Amino acid sequence: MNVAQLAEQLRRDNYFMKDVTRWEVIPARPAQTVPFPDSLDPRLIPVLAERGIHNLYTHQAKSLEAIARGEDVTVVTPTASGKTMCYNLPVLSAILQNEDTRALYLFPTKALSADQVSELYDMIEGMGVDIKTYTYDGDTPAAARRAVRQAGHIVVTNPDMLHSGILPHHTKWVKLFENLRYIVIDEIHTYRGVFGSNLANVLRRLMRLCEFYGSHPQFILCSATIANPKELAETLIGRTVTLVDENGAPMGERHFVFYNPPVVNRQLGIREGAVPVTRSISGMLLKNGIQAITFARSRLTVEVLTRYLKDMVRDPLGNAGRVRGYRGGYLPGERREIERGLRNGQVDAVVSTNALELGIDIGALDACVMCGYPGTIASAWQQAGRAGRRKGTSIVFFIASSAAIDQYIVNHPDYLLTKSPENALLNPDNLYILLSHFKCAAFELPFADGDKFGNTSSTQELLDFLDEQGIVHHVEGKYHWSAEDFPASEISLRSAAAENFIIVDITDPAHHRVVGEMDRFTAPMLLHENAIYMHEGRQFQVEKLDFDACKAFIRSVDVGYYTDADLNINLSLLDIEKEEQTPQGGIAGLGEIKVTALVTMFKKIKFDTHETLGFGHVQLPETDMHTTSMWWTLPEKLAAKFSSDQLKNGMMGIANLLRIVCPLYLMCAPQDIAVVYQVKSPITNEPTILLYDNTPGGIGLSHKAFGMKELLLSKALQVAEDCHCSYGCPSCVGPVGEIGEDGKRTAIRLLKELTK
Amino acid sequence: MNLRDKLRAVGGTGPNRPGDRPEQETRDCRHFAVYRPPEEFPGALELTRDTLSLMSEKEMPEVFDPRRILYMDTETTGLGGSGTVAFLVGLGWLTDNGFEVHQFLMRDYPEEPYLLKHVAAGLDRFDVLCTFNGTTFDVPLLESRFLMNRMDRSCLDLPHLDLLHMCRRLWKLRLGRCNLGRLEEVILGKPRTDDIPGSEVPQRYFTYLKTKQISLLDDILKHNAQDIASLCVLLNHMADLYLHPEKIRFSEDVYSMGRALERVNRTEHARRCYRLAGRGRMGDLASSALAVSYRRSGQREEAAQIWREMIREGRGGIDPYVELAKYEEHVRRDVPEALRLTEQAIIRLSEPGFGRDDAVQELKNELQYRWQRLKRKLKEQ
Repeated sequence: MNVAQLAEQLRRDNYFMKDVTRWEVIPARPAQTVPFPDSLDPRLIPVLAERGIHNLYTHQAKSLEAIARGEDVTVVTPTASGKTMCYNLPVLSAILQNEDTRALYLFPTKALSADQVSELYDMIEGMGVDIKTYTYDGDTPAAARRAVRQAGHIVVTNPDMLHSGILPHHTKWVKLFENLRYIVIDEIHTYRGVFGSNLANVLRRLMRLCEFYGSHPQFILCSATIANPKELAETLIGRTVTLVDENGAPMGERHFVFYNPPVVNRQLGIREGAVPVTRSISGMLLKNGIQAITFARSRLTVEVLTRYLKDMVRDPLGNAGRVRGYRGGYLPGERREIERGLRNGQVDAVVSTNALELGIDIGALDACVMCGYPGTIASAWQQAGRAGRRKGTSIVFFIASSAAIDQYIVNHPDYLLTKSPENALLNPDNLYILLSHFKCAAFELPFADGDKFGNTSSTQELLDFLDEQGIVHHVEGKYHWSAEDFPASEISLRSAAAENFIIVDITDPAHHRVVGEMDRFTAPMLLHENAIYMHEGRQFQVEKLDFDACKAFIRSVDVGYYTDADLNINLSLLDIEKEEQTPQGGIAGLGEIKVTALVTMFKKIKFDTHETLGFGHVQLPETDMHTTSMWWTLPEKLAAKFSSDQLKNGMMGIANLLRIVCPLYLMCAPQDIAVVYQVKSPITNEPTILLYDNTPGGIGLSHKAFGMKELLLSKALQVAEDCHCSYGCPSCVGPVGEIGEDGKRTAIRLLKELTK
Repeated sequence: MNLRDKLRAVGGTGPNRPGDRPEQETRDCRHFAVYRPPEEFPGALELTRDTLSLMSEKEMPEVFDPRRILYMDTETTGLGGSGTVAFLVGLGWLTDNGFEVHQFLMRDYPEEPYLLKHVAAGLDRFDVLCTFNGTTFDVPLLESRFLMNRMDRSCLDLPHLDLLHMCRRLWKLRLGRCNLGRLEEVILGKPRTDDIPGSEVPQRYFTYLKTKQISLLDDILKHNAQDIASLCVLLNHMADLYLHPEKIRFSEDVYSMGRALERVNRTEHARRCYRLAGRGRMGDLASSALAVSYRRSGQREEAAQIWREMIREGRGGIDPYVELAKYEEHVRRDVPEALRLTEQAIIRLSEPGFGRDDAVQELKNELQYRWQRLKRKLKEQ
């Protein structure tokens, strides 16, 4: 049975259809092509022809035109639309025409670099020309590095290596910097939050060096579909970009099925699990010979589903090999083999974490099953995009878990399907991040009086500060690095705070191993002594947390409970940036706050029943975090209508709703923000609900939230009203036990007043 | 809260500024000169092109003069990367009247171009550059500094003697780590006293930058001048040993010298060293190396003679048996003798001294295989 037949059959199946909340058909779209432009070097045309390419899709041609005009370009393209051509063609043309030309490619992960380099090699080999493409990352042998620095036309690397391996040693890369013409950054939608804020500063440093060496490179950026690709790109590189976002690649008909597993216990509101449902849908695809990818959120689920599917087709002929798992932690060779198997059809079913979400080439598949919402719309479309051939029908199943966010999506499919208000945010001027990179920049090249660092307005103040600290030395109009340190080694691009806690597994006394890292603001919550720490589905108990050395020592255990720390949070106001009177008479504010967190005790909670088994004390120092926050106060008149208990429960309900809604509309991970309520806030002296960036210095989420402050409240109201529960459940305002019997009603009444 | 306060909250300590600094009115960096008497550099003026080529394994300039070697050492603000600066560069050379060290110090960053100009001018006047670990540290660092100051760095393209590599060839076996201080102490027999540790140099300079008390740098200047003079002494001490290996007192060193000489095809000299290595583990290594050297040059009987001698004296483990067995089988075609030697090797390998590890086991398997092969060969004959 092919996909079209299967879809037809399912639609006639009432038992299946009763749990389908939406069946969307996205019609087929023909290719829009134009002839090769003149800017393309003629030597490229035969190699393209060999690959069956005789003209360009319109988005490819538009990118090439804009690049030829000297503009910085951002190309937004779905999976499998020939995106790499948008940068490979102009780069190769430029090198063919002038062999001194250099290009720098940045990919977020090593696996992606490997994939892109092999595609480039193929084209270069096809032309029989001497264009050297080298990967420069942690795996590049020392002996080969010299050749990369001297002779590489195209240097492929990642932001981390650029930051710590290339920029601080720029004098060894003279050839690259003097002749750098193109900087290609792929998958820019992954550079949001802390990682993006770091990359933006790495690029500021890069551009400073280019100026020193007299080169003026152009940027070619690629992004998956997000709401604000132009804004993201412009914040990232600090320059105006030309956006190319219409897709000229053909696409067959696509079905998008939203499936909410049936309720199995109506009183408790418990649904059938997403995993068994995924198992039967993926199994059905497998039995019908439809090549499919199944995405699961955790590595453990990937392993479980892989085993289920393998068992389904296991036979003496080795057919279980048609089913493969794919996740971080597999060896590179094994991953390449699976990718190849998918391309050439030897693998029928793959179960993956989001590791396969990025642009690794696995060809297009017939079907995709999402076991749970991946957290952002961009990810959801990236995953869905894995299914969808240029010709023929494809199908995507979204299987909702019982998590609040999944329930929201499955009950509001339009949120996913229509152009959404989601954004990818970053804040290059986050003070923590900016200061760290500013030091690196000062190390790399002395600042002169009046120099700028990207678009940041505080260059002079930063320099004065570093001078005062004795880190730079101001003399005759220049600020010279005057410290022994190597500042790049002090920053990890993927987190904001400089010192992370290292998690050490000491189960085997002869072989201690580092299993992970955690930032210092989260560590007291999850790594306090006697906490149960989960890693790859295994349980560990924290034996010792060495706060000064930033190390946690854990030992493998097998217990029937998990732990939940009680966090006492105190907020104090540092600075008000903006305050606005709302039409309803409240105040909406934006500003900087200090969050003081203190963990004093923790609960042991039994798995499954969630009953509290006991308590423990924690003795740890307070941690301080300066960050940005936005807040809503309740108008006095409104608050006066409720008893203080009612008010407290209602506000707790609203805070819970905002925790669900905000990550969706701010496009961030749930842990990137925190929402708290204060019946009498020390900040405003009123009943207040606060949202703050859960990252030191903030990455701009509070600012964004301030910009959509009415929308967030109305969406929170919508979630509460649409939820079928009577008095509250974890999918909306929170469970009755937590918010009381009238919590949901009060929350709805308050929200109605606030959005009137 | 203003930005300054926030910055302090994010990552600072209190103010650190030592009052306003006077503007420097300089058109040059500071220059120091040190003169050392000729007696401290015995034999230095007699160094020949041939000896130096042997030692360095490099071609030396056609017209060679030991007075045209420039000895150089830098003192830096860090361990590398483009934010590290060489604030002091010392250049030294031999004259007919002894040894001169000229040190160029930047009293502050604006003097760096002047310092580099002196270095470039110095390098231009000489034919050969001599440093300690300059290949990986000083020269790339100066290249980087020239580049950062937009100056021509071709002056650094001199033939380069890196004493670190040369010293490692001779003394690594005995000393392990070869740093200059240790070489001075152990090889030259002149331990340093009151020397500032290299790790304290950057901080001392930064303190000087803030206070401008030039006396803070005295230790560094002294240290640097001593390093440079030591380069010259060390080079000539090595040259003396290359010419007179019989002066070497340690068997490790004489064996190492043999290896070094063999690398530059001074076979006869190398063999002389091997013969000087005496007894003990080094003596065994040297005898083996000597035999291998004979075998390579086709002097099979001489090689065999050494193996026999080693077997007779019970030296060198089983290698002499194996080697001699090969010789008997392939050169003298005496299969029974080869078989006998292989048997003895197997027996010796079973003695308790050899242990039981995998490598020994593998060797044993190999020998047993050889023994079977020889046995078959014997039958066929």
